[in-house]
Amino acid sequence: MTAVGRALLALAVVAAPAFAQDPRLAARLDKPTLIAVNAIVDSARVAKLPTSPLVDKALEGAAKGSDGQKIVVAVHQLSLRLGSARHVLGAGASIDEIKSAAGALDAGVTPHDLARIRAATGKRAVTMPLAVLTDLIERGVPIATATSTVIQLERSGVKDQELAMFQRNVRADIDRGADPGVAATTRARGLVLRSGGAPDKPAQ
Amino acid sequence: MRDENELPLREIARELREPVPVSESFDARVMRAVRALPRHRFGFWLRLTAPRTITIKPLTWGVLAASLIVFAAAGVPRAFGALHRATRPIATALFPSSAKAPVKSQRVQFVLVAPDAKKVAVVGDFNGWDAQHAEYQAKHRGGGVWSVTAPVPLGHHRYSFVVDDSVWVADPTAPRVVDNDFGTPNSAIVVEELK
Repeated sequence: MTAVGRALLALAVVAAPAFAQDPRLAARLDKPTLIAVNAIVDSARVAKLPTSPLVDKALEGAAKGSDGQKIVVAVHQLSLRLGSARHVLGAGASIDEIKSAAGALDAGVTPHDLARIRAATGKRAVTMPLAVLTDLIERGVPIATATSTVIQLERSGVKDQELAMFQRNVRADIDRGADPGVAATTRARGLVLRSGGAPDKPAQ
Repeated sequence: MRDENELPLREIARELREPVPVSESFDARVMRAVRALPRHRFGFWLRLTAPRTITIKPLTWGVLAASLIVFAAAGVPRAFGALHRATRPIATALFPSSAKAPVKSQRVQFVLVAPDAKKVAVVGDFNGWDAQHAEYQAKHRGGGVWSVTAPVPLGHHRYSFVVDDSVWVADPTAPRVVDNDFGTPNSAIVVEELK
């Protein structure tokens, strides 16, 4: 090997981590699919979007035996949702917030409602409200009901811990046979009433 | 004698000053001949690599050697440090280091009743959807009940059971997520930190 060749090889070895891809993709995807998925992942990275959900989506497709074209389309759609989520939440949104927002969009929440939740949350992180919203929808609460419920709770200034408790209670109600929509609205009303009474607590 | 020689000399000078008659195609023929000559493709490289004699003063050698030592002592580690710093965030983002920022997780029990199953595994976005992941292989507890307790990072996740490496079964006890991408429904789980 010439000196020039050795220098180029050394440069490639040193620079390799900068272009590293998830090795699991190479192990599970065929070459054309791998190239397409890597291109989408690289674009997302350049756009400062989270890339782990994209890798997960490709791995999920491969595990389910889907063909390459379906995998590429699914990964591309998810990258669009991530981009849309970041656009709605703003450039200052954290990776967790973007991931949660993309999950909410996937569950059927519209970008308009996402913006309403963002506005209702104010300066607080929107991760928890969106995770709760997505969970409510997945448990059968109608999207409109779940969205308005979360917006109402956020406007009332409930904390993340209270939201987590609300989520657990709704889950328990549904498991006991309650109608999902009724369970969500009833529990939300109770929480808002308690939040409204919060200023009295220090006097007690 | 002098006058006798001057006349022929003037004649010769005049002859020499006369323009030589050249045909109009002369230039073209010359250029064709030049272009036909074999080209030296590595002329520049040869000029760079051909041995040459260079004379240099001892003082110049000393200054050059001192500069190299200073560069080696300070410049190279800095340059490689900068390169390492430049590449690290991308690599870290791709493969989060558990040593640096440990991902909080909780042990979660997954249960599936599958009397005819020979093998049951849990797959999800927390294990790369890998049905062979050793930590997520369910064990038969008797009566067709399969279960496994494994760590799942805090947060909202999607998962499924894979029976006999081929059949995907959503968890009947968890909410289902409609999967429009691959056509197989997943289950949803929210893992919270225990207080």
